[in-house]
Amino acid sequence: MKHCLIVDDSRVVRTVAGRIVKDLSFTVSEAAHGAEALELCRKDMPDAILLDWNMPVMNGLDFLRALRREDRGKEPVVVFCTNENDSEHISEAIRAGANEYIMKPFDAEIVESKFAEVGLV
Amino acid sequence: MQESTFNELADLALRTTGQHIPASKSYLMEARLSNISRRESFATLDDLVHCLQARPNPRFEQEIAAALTSKRTHFFREREQLAQIVGNALPHRLKQSKNGRLRVWCAGVSTGQEVWSLAMRLREEVGSPLANADIELIGTDISAVCIETASQGTYGHFEVQKGLSIHRLMTNFTRESSGDWTINKDLRDSVTFRRHNLLHPAQDLGAFDLIICTHVISDLAKSAQSEVLTHLSRQLLPGGYLFAAPSEQIEGINPIIKPSREMRGAFERDASARSTSAA
Repeated sequence: MKHCLIVDDSRVVRTVAGRIVKDLSFTVSEAAHGAEALELCRKDMPDAILLDWNMPVMNGLDFLRALRREDRGKEPVVVFCTNENDSEHISEAIRAGANEYIMKPFDAEIVESKFAEVGLV
Repeated sequence: MQESTFNELADLALRTTGQHIPASKSYLMEARLSNISRRESFATLDDLVHCLQARPNPRFEQEIAAALTSKRTHFFREREQLAQIVGNALPHRLKQSKNGRLRVWCAGVSTGQEVWSLAMRLREEVGSPLANADIELIGTDISAVCIETASQGTYGHFEVQKGLSIHRLMTNFTRESSGDWTINKDLRDSVTFRRHNLLHPAQDLGAFDLIICTHVISDLAKSAQSEVLTHLSRQLLPGGYLFAAPSEQIEGINPIIKPSREMRGAFERDASARSTSAA
């Protein structure tokens, strides 16, 4: 079973996204900000990361840049999931190493479609 | 909704578009006619039908019948089929073409995502023989509202996130201040849209190397399926292909269309067969 880490400072979003991702046959872990996510990744690198942009302590973009600098032999698929829906933010995320991008609000069909784009389902 | 209202609307759909709406799907009528009903200030569909009966209005009937057709679609809906079309069917036709021109008709495109997906895939064919081909893409639908949406190429937040990768979105679309996304002009100019009822002959559209008609025929009544296949087959150039959705059962509806031996998933015109529907 694949493992997805959901990184979002909103408990509601983590719960909703978690249910959707579990329905896609993933095991799920959660982090409320980038620093917590980075710590979890160092212990157990997930297959996929669903990543918010604006979070306290460490935002999603800084987390992604730090993650891509790590060399742990396994590169997780990172799917941004954020309210930052303009072209500039999307381009910046792709340059930083994001594999896909979900613009909030989202539904189960969007998550499945985006996961399919990057070969997760 | 009264049973007589359902029967009246189902009959209108069958007569005008060939669509078969079973009683078990009467809820679809409520959903698909809600905009028209609200715009015309009818409290119920019963009122709408009473009005049509009292004051027949062919143009309004056409609009209602078009609204009753399925609009369900999304980008890259038939991904494997698209790969077959771009990877095999079109290159095969191009080899047979004397002038490097190909004509493709996407029939019943609803709001256009299917034909835009093909247009995007063709843009990605850098370095392949298709890159230098002159490929004319035509999309048709019975609904004027759908054709307007398709030709504007503007889609909402949810629509552009279903079937479309972020790379394709960023390459082919521009974000509007409203939050919607519009297909870039150079791509938009590569497709022509026209209103067309598949129950009618299509000579004015000309002949095609490829006709793609997916998720349309299975919604039609048996007699309409045969008639539509007759009209489509007549617009196929010799050796041209018809593609329906892989999930649709096309074989056996009309002997004028038979599965292609050389092109997986495609149908072709059987010149020796007689059509089962009227001319």
